[in-house]
Amino acid sequence: MALILGMDFFVFIAWIGTILAAIFCVIYGIYYEYIKKSNNDKDNSSKSINKNKKEVQ
Amino acid sequence: MDVLFFAIFMALFAGVFAFLGYLGYKKTKTAEDYYVAGRKMGPIVIAFSYGATFISAVALIGFSGISSVYGHSLLWLAFLNIFVGILIAFIFYGFRTRKMGLSLKALTLPELLGNRFNSTKLQATSGLIIAVFMVFYTTAVFLAIATLFEVTFGIPYWICVVVFTIVVGLYLIVGGLYAVMWTHAIQGILMLIGMVILTIGIYMMLGGIGPAHEAASMLTQEDLTSMGWTSIPSGFTTLTSFPELFSPAYMLLLTLIFGVGIGVLAQPQLIVRYLSAKSEKALRRAIPYGGIFILLMTFTAFSIGPLSNVLMINNGLSYPGTPDKVVPLIVNELFPEWFVVLFLFAVLSAAMSTASALFHTAGASIGRDVFEKSLMKKCSEKKSLLITRIATLGIVFATLIISLNPPDVVAILTSFFFGLMACTFLAPYTLMLYWKKISRFGAWFGMLGGFIFTMGWYVLIYFKTAPELMGRSLTENYLINMLDPIFIGLPLSFILTIIFSFLIKQDNEEIKSMNLAFENI
Repeated sequence: MALILGMDFFVFIAWIGTILAAIFCVIYGIYYEYIKKSNNDKDNSSKSINKNKKEVQ
Repeated sequence: MDVLFFAIFMALFAGVFAFLGYLGYKKTKTAEDYYVAGRKMGPIVIAFSYGATFISAVALIGFSGISSVYGHSLLWLAFLNIFVGILIAFIFYGFRTRKMGLSLKALTLPELLGNRFNSTKLQATSGLIIAVFMVFYTTAVFLAIATLFEVTFGIPYWICVVVFTIVVGLYLIVGGLYAVMWTHAIQGILMLIGMVILTIGIYMMLGGIGPAHEAASMLTQEDLTSMGWTSIPSGFTTLTSFPELFSPAYMLLLTLIFGVGIGVLAQPQLIVRYLSAKSEKALRRAIPYGGIFILLMTFTAFSIGPLSNVLMINNGLSYPGTPDKVVPLIVNELFPEWFVVLFLFAVLSAAMSTASALFHTAGASIGRDVFEKSLMKKCSEKKSLLITRIATLGIVFATLIISLNPPDVVAILTSFFFGLMACTFLAPYTLMLYWKKISRFGAWFGMLGGFIFTMGWYVLIYFKTAPELMGRSLTENYLINMLDPIFIGLPLSFILTIIFSFLIKQDNEEIKSMNLAFENI
């Protein structure tokens, strides 16, 4: 069987999978820290706008 | 290196950690402070403490040694360590555990179970199981670190064990979880530095990732036996390819990978880290730090193990006799002296961090879950802390006695503990977090069913333990006797929990506890 970086396919999947899992952890952190947060901020700000509108009415 | 250096080295370590123990003591005013660090911990400390507790000297020394025999296939365990041990653990267990712990005012896993099912007997039984088997796991940690010191300094094993126990016991009993988690942060950094340098050094010696792995893949069984391997595992192919399907080598890997890889979800000493978080945001932020930490620990340890064989052959070294001694030998023979010192700091840190977390959890299990909640019913916070500190001292002493005459192979003991905890607690713990209809009887049957089955399997069938305990395994078929009990015990525990929850439903008090538990979810 052909080797990838000196490893057979099944071992290589574990090798690359481990690195990808760690990268996914980082992406998860970035997503919740920056992207999701800004979505929440938008939601919160739109809620407060609606609340203000109700108070005005 | 001599004994004097060892003494200075230990004094320095003991001094720093005793100081942190003192700071922890000053901050520990209530039981909540002692058990869950006042629920005030931030993401970096949580991530490092979780990682340092999870990754012990067993993982660095024992498992890298095992990978030197079974090859890079063990990288599947590194994958599960991150995917299950960090991602699934934090996302599907951490957040809910923290919220439920707050609602139920629980400070330990047994207390969480006890309060959720309104049963102090369930709490006491869980606490007892955890405390007893944690002593064996801690023994495995001591064995790994003492072996390393024996190889490096030539200091007798028993001296290492005694000194090590006193140092850990001192800062833990005084400073509680504050001291444990702060020391974990420092120990985690040392572990990171040590493992990264070791890995880079080994890959540089072998010409980079590709050439290093190719060199390992080209080693034949004759090369390995001529180097001093006494036996080649049956079904072994090469160091960089998976063993033959369903061969003994394959079955052993399966045991290690799933026993530890899945077992991580139900480790009481790790679950406490969720309870110590100051917010859900802190837990969420801990995920990337945790992922990177585990990557730099297990991925590196399991990668360099097989490569050690190439280095030993290239440098005319003989196989040191047992897998546990492979990496220490490489470090001692092929790295400069300053790194030997650094590596010792790193592995000692790994051992201390895990041992302190285990002692803390086992002490809490006996002190709070067994004595205070079950036997004494009500006592003041001051008395509660005193009981737990005395119980922790008892656990430390018991571990010391067993460690002086330890059982055989390090990594198998870890697998034993992880698998047993998973089969006993994972089903009731998981269902408790997600299923409102789980009942007290369901939890009892799931927990005890999983526990009894797993213990029975280890005593009567499992190929490593049954011959030692009973003289021989009940079956000679390795497809059965090499199978980790987690493959049967865990589904059995889930089935028993669900069936008995349907058969014997929650009473009114349990329904009240359930409503309280899901109040913030």
